[in-house]
Amino acid sequence: MINRRNFLTLAAAPALFPLPVRAQAAEKASAFVKSTGDRLVAVVNGPGSSSAKRAQMSQIINSDVDVNGIGRFCLGRYWRQATPEQQKQYLALFHEVLVTNITAKLGEYQGVTFTMGRSRPQDDEAVVSTTVIRPNNGPTAVDWIISNPSSDPKIVDVVAEGTSLRLTQRQDYASYLAHNNGSVDALIAAMKSQISQNG
Amino acid sequence: MRSSPCSRLACFGAPRMLAFGVLVAFGLSGCATKPPASDPDAVADYEQTNDPLEPTNRVFYAINNGIDTVILRPAALAYRYVLPSPVRDGVHNVLANIGLPVQLANDILEGKPRRAGDSTMRILINTTVGVFGIFDVATKWGYPDHDADFGMTLALWGVPEGPFLFLPVLGPSDPRDAAGFGMGIAMDPFTWIGTGPNHPGWTAFKWSRFGLNAIDARERVLDSIDQIKKTALDPYATFRSLYRQHRHAQIENVRNDNRTTVPVWFSQPPSATAQ
Repeated sequence: MINRRNFLTLAAAPALFPLPVRAQAAEKASAFVKSTGDRLVAVVNGPGSSSAKRAQMSQIINSDVDVNGIGRFCLGRYWRQATPEQQKQYLALFHEVLVTNITAKLGEYQGVTFTMGRSRPQDDEAVVSTTVIRPNNGPTAVDWIISNPSSDPKIVDVVAEGTSLRLTQRQDYASYLAHNNGSVDALIAAMKSQISQNG
Repeated sequence: MRSSPCSRLACFGAPRMLAFGVLVAFGLSGCATKPPASDPDAVADYEQTNDPLEPTNRVFYAINNGIDTVILRPAALAYRYVLPSPVRDGVHNVLANIGLPVQLANDILEGKPRRAGDSTMRILINTTVGVFGIFDVATKWGYPDHDADFGMTLALWGVPEGPFLFLPVLGPSDPRDAAGFGMGIAMDPFTWIGTGPNHPGWTAFKWSRFGLNAIDARERVLDSIDQIKKTALDPYATFRSLYRQHRHAQIENVRNDNRTTVPVWFSQPPSATAQ
């Protein structure tokens, strides 16, 4: 499946963009990931209380991550069924969930470093490979998916050892919704209680 | 590829345990009901999830979760508390070294000579210079570790993965991986050494290996699993998704590992430049 898709991507790509433009985009995406990664590592390994770190994290996520885009992706087909009010509420909660989940992992990542790997265009996005090294852990292959690499780069997905953050989240929500009669209100309530528990 | 005679092996390799598991599964609570055709989105979801035994799978998930909470997680926590990280790494390396013969056999069955070479060098270097596998010298010398098991081999042979299964004790799986697990035991030389009651030493070795493997594997995912259970709205669905994605990535990694066996100083075949 993946192979076929990659093949189609490769086959279709030259028709859409001349090669130098695409290579340049991949390079820009790489520089973007390097700068975001450096700032993330600085927060993780830096001094400061956990609430100060949370604020710093939130700032980086706001500027460098397409939170709304990921949020819409994670709601899948239920996004269209949701009312504008539900969509607004959901995105606000999704934002908070994302920050909370990432901040909760900070302790685990104490002493983290990363090295840059290859960067390649994929559809109209760019995939930047990195290797994340944590003390007492083997190296982890992490791919960053970057949208609009040349104009307005934003992180739209993080793929760790082949597992995609947004796909996993989407399937989690899809299953929750399937077991709650597809009620977006039920999902919103569950996200609220999750934030109050973990936040 | 699909009509390869090798795929027949899947039927032979399927362990009795799997057959038993499936029987129990059907007996316990049957299948998830497929959504009506009038709701194409729901049907698409159902097919993509590919988990027709979900109700039963969830029962086993709950049972495994209970076993984990009472036995495995506390054992892993104690293990982490008692032994410092370098010692745990040594234990992990020894266990990995004992598992290498099976890994090597799968590298060969997958038709990946460079991987087979890596595994061979790992056995030779780590068993000797690395003192029975305690130290992973081979990685530093340019023979890195990789994943190989019979489930992945079956995938490369074109055997489809089948529906999702959550097996008692073993956890997330599918028919292909369950068959692969059984074959992994059958392929292991240690399975066939020192069988019978007259070998207490071997019996002790095998049980220690089994127990340590479980605790080592659990200790390595302590933080991630705690995190998932805390943050997922439906941990079962999250584990299902993660398991599949991780297996697909492992399989794609083997499939795309086409490093050439021709030495660098010899004229290279055209396909070699792809690496």
